[in-house]
Amino acid sequence: MGIVHAKVQDGSSKNVGEFARQTGLKEHQDEPDVKEIDMEKVPVRVDKINVEGLGRTKNDIVEDCIRELFKAKDFQDVLLKAHRARVKLDELGCFKNIGVYIDTSKGKTATEDGLEVTFDVKEHSRVTGGISTQVGNNEGSVLVGMRAPNIFGRGERVQMEYSHGSKKTSNFNLAFIKPFRGKHRASMRTSILQAHSQWPSSGYKMVEQGIAIDFGFYSTSLLKHSLQWEGIIRDLSTLTRTASFDIREQAGVNLKSAFRHILSLDLRDDLIFPSSGSLVQVTSELAGIGGDVGFVKNEIVFQDNTSLFEDIVLQTSLMAGYLTTLSKDKKITVADRCYIGGPLSVRGFEARGVGPHSDGDALGSNAYWAAGLHLFTPLPFRPGRGGFGDLFRTHFFINAGNVGDFSLEKISRGQLLDILKNNMRLSYGLGVALRLGNMARIEVNYCFPYKFDKGDQTHPGVQFGIGVQFL
Amino acid sequence: MPSPLIDRISIELGAQEPWPKDVKLFQPYEVEQILLPDNANCLAVQAFLKMCNLEFQVEPRSNAEFMSPTGKVPFIKAGRFVMAELEGIVQFVNGKGISLTDGLDNEQKSDLRAYMTLVRNVIEIAELYICWIDRETYNEVTSVRNGSVYPWPLNHIQNREKKNQVIKKLKVLDWYNKTLEEVHQEVESCCEALSVRLDNKQYFFNGGPTELDALVFGHLFTILTTPLPRNDLAEIVRRYPSLINLVKKIEVEYFKKDSRRL
Repeated sequence: MGIVHAKVQDGSSKNVGEFARQTGLKEHQDEPDVKEIDMEKVPVRVDKINVEGLGRTKNDIVEDCIRELFKAKDFQDVLLKAHRARVKLDELGCFKNIGVYIDTSKGKTATEDGLEVTFDVKEHSRVTGGISTQVGNNEGSVLVGMRAPNIFGRGERVQMEYSHGSKKTSNFNLAFIKPFRGKHRASMRTSILQAHSQWPSSGYKMVEQGIAIDFGFYSTSLLKHSLQWEGIIRDLSTLTRTASFDIREQAGVNLKSAFRHILSLDLRDDLIFPSSGSLVQVTSELAGIGGDVGFVKNEIVFQDNTSLFEDIVLQTSLMAGYLTTLSKDKKITVADRCYIGGPLSVRGFEARGVGPHSDGDALGSNAYWAAGLHLFTPLPFRPGRGGFGDLFRTHFFINAGNVGDFSLEKISRGQLLDILKNNMRLSYGLGVALRLGNMARIEVNYCFPYKFDKGDQTHPGVQFGIGVQFL
Repeated sequence: MPSPLIDRISIELGAQEPWPKDVKLFQPYEVEQILLPDNANCLAVQAFLKMCNLEFQVEPRSNAEFMSPTGKVPFIKAGRFVMAELEGIVQFVNGKGISLTDGLDNEQKSDLRAYMTLVRNVIEIAELYICWIDRETYNEVTSVRNGSVYPWPLNHIQNREKKNQVIKKLKVLDWYNKTLEEVHQEVESCCEALSVRLDNKQYFFNGGPTELDALVFGHLFTILTTPLPRNDLAEIVRRYPSLINLVKKIEVEYFKKDSRRL
């Protein structure tokens, strides 16, 4: 099989260099008989695209992914479009690995500038499984998973997960996921779940059993929507005999039927330690169409990153939420209310440590805001630069936040500002943050709670946090 | 996290304080929710507290069963302490130096315990049997009342769950496979035994009412006054006039209502 060795004149195109890095194509610079050509000026026509290794995957979804490639006019275009097609094939989740080969086209039907592109794919086996560890918000767990990828040939998959956490919570999740064709990259996920969770900071534990349906799509290339419905039976009980009576009063079984819309726009260049870009996420939840739990909850998360010098990043973040009752006959339980405080939220406070407590159990409130100003810098003197050391950041922060129980309808705008400002909590500190894979972050901070309320539970000194989403 | 030992110590310490003023007794809603066995136990505790002359307020809650530390109703909240079921509450009250059994000798005390166990193991189980196993009663009364506090479809799920629990319990006690006639016989012989022990006295023991009287009152009064599709249990109880007299007497004395026609 012939290989095109192409070399670009210095600085003529940055795209190609990037492309070569992404696809792993190597430029053989040392070869003596290299002829220099400008790839944008090489006219080509894609005669044929071969996809080898397809078994149960249906043709139509593969065609969707590669169709654009036929429109390429010059050689650089072919490279870029072939790469894009490869990414799309990868997103189907049907293939273990995908190789791309580009060759001149041969045979009777070949045209003068004809090319033949071959995608060599390897499908996933029918059932895969594994045991892994997982890090969630402040808890690590062992996860046993089984997956049946691509069962009907169009990227549909069934996955089953069972996990047992370090805080003795066990969870079960059986999901069926179906991606749809089309430019909105829609996908549907239906799952049956059981989740145990314990909330020592609020003195209760909960068993959730139910069904969840999630329909996700992109309205523009970056704006992601997620429409969800869940019908969940929640059994809430006290964690200990000495739990506060306010928590005990809420024990019992209830049915929550909730619709949720999550809108997110993520322009950050990295999930864990972004150096530029911002994230906006708006969540609206309506519970109470059916079931006996009813509320409307709106939340917003905003994060912005600015690079001050090459490696020094200033991050501003803001979270706010507001919960209202729907009607008097519908319940709002302690599990639905809003909390701030803890290593992932307002640092320097115990988890759920800000706001009203009863006998040490956090009761939550119906509104909150929390903001953070963070400065991330590389480790001092930069040990392990370019390798291990890049997993770490030094971290300086100021966190602020407040909670309140009020109704927006009953107060004027001036009062609202007062309520939000009055009794504001503030903490500051410094620490080290560590990237864990591309999923989670560990932080060890030394915190100084600066302003707090009598009822708050502060956590001055060293605080350890591990999680996915941080303030 | 407090250990059971600390739990116990705090209960002991709490016991030394006098009877607080804001004691509340939590139970399910009487009109639309409560079931025969739960109602009997709630009434028994109420009668016991009234016999001890202790003040309390009845607080109906739809989730009383889940709030209770033992998962059974009723339970009381005294200051920071919560105590559930007649035995626990009797113990708690005794800890405060109030007792209805001070005048009894050891033999009588063990008699009292034996009869209380008899009532628990026969009459209460028979009530559970009637409510959950007898198809007519289950369909017309139990499932409607037990599910009344839940939205659809949770009501059906909760009914099934609770029914399974009761069946499990009855199987352990070897009552599940009994026929209705056998259940009636058990109740009859229990009433017979109680009636013999009562022997036309005012109360089971000469010194005055005890927790046994409260328990018998709770169960028999509820059986006699609860309308069910099948009132065979009430028929059986009515055959023992001495027991009826006890129930009437306690009702007039402590609940100060006009004695209903039993």
